[in-house]
Amino acid sequence: MPEPAEKAASDTTPEAPSADAVFKALADPHRRQILHLVQLSALPAGQIAAQFEMTQQAVSLHLAVLKKAGLLTEFRDGTRRLYQLRPEALRPARAVLDEFWPDALARLKQAVETDHPTGGDPRP
Amino acid sequence: MTATGELAASVHIDAPPETVFPYFTDAELMVRWLGTTATLDPVPGGVFAVDVGDSAARGTYVSVDPVRSVVFTWGMPGSGTLPPGGTTVEVTLTPVDGGTLVTLIHRGLPPEHHPSHEEGWRTFLSKLTSAAAITSGKPAATNPG
Repeated sequence: MPEPAEKAASDTTPEAPSADAVFKALADPHRRQILHLVQLSALPAGQIAAQFEMTQQAVSLHLAVLKKAGLLTEFRDGTRRLYQLRPEALRPARAVLDEFWPDALARLKQAVETDHPTGGDPRP
Repeated sequence: MTATGELAASVHIDAPPETVFPYFTDAELMVRWLGTTATLDPVPGGVFAVDVGDSAARGTYVSVDPVRSVVFTWGMPGSGTLPPGGTTVEVTLTPVDGGTLVTLIHRGLPPEHHPSHEEGWRTFLSKLTSAAAITSGKPAATNPG
């Protein structure tokens, strides 16, 4: 399958978008719903917009955010543009999810040891 | 790699289990490391609720064995896709060298590779978003207007 040309003009992320961009894109229920719609098959923007009460313009903005985060692939079919989930874009985000508890436990360690500075002074 | 999503993590803390344990059962201590608001009723069946901004972890305590282990369920009701009780977090405290080894296992997470499984994806996406909000620890914009 040919890769669609990268045409992010001002973006300095030529390879994978950062996990941060992915999370920002995911941090909106409408956008998650859009991904849900296009996870199995490509859909034209109009058909996606038809699922929402938003204006088509608002949906287009959401699609742009998702595309920029690398979460959507855009295909062209004649005059139509079709969008589909790009699951590999979730990899960096998955990596962050994997870090969730290690990060939390690191904060736990810091909190406990800050609150109890003598905790490391075991009685003989 | 497990077929059923499972995450494990551990940390050694320079304090005895008696000191560490309340950080899993006392709301004031919980928010020192997880979330910004917590409502905790550390008895079996008691509420486990931690908020960060618009992300919410909701569940119930399954078992509470003071200074040794605590088990609670974990869900994101706000997402509407991961019901409270959907996943389980199991924490074990082991005394080691005057300190504590904290071992945590989060069970019941969506499998890593299931793009064709609709519910798995929805759950996963919701979870990612919630994890992002909690991990970043960024407070919601303090914009009163």
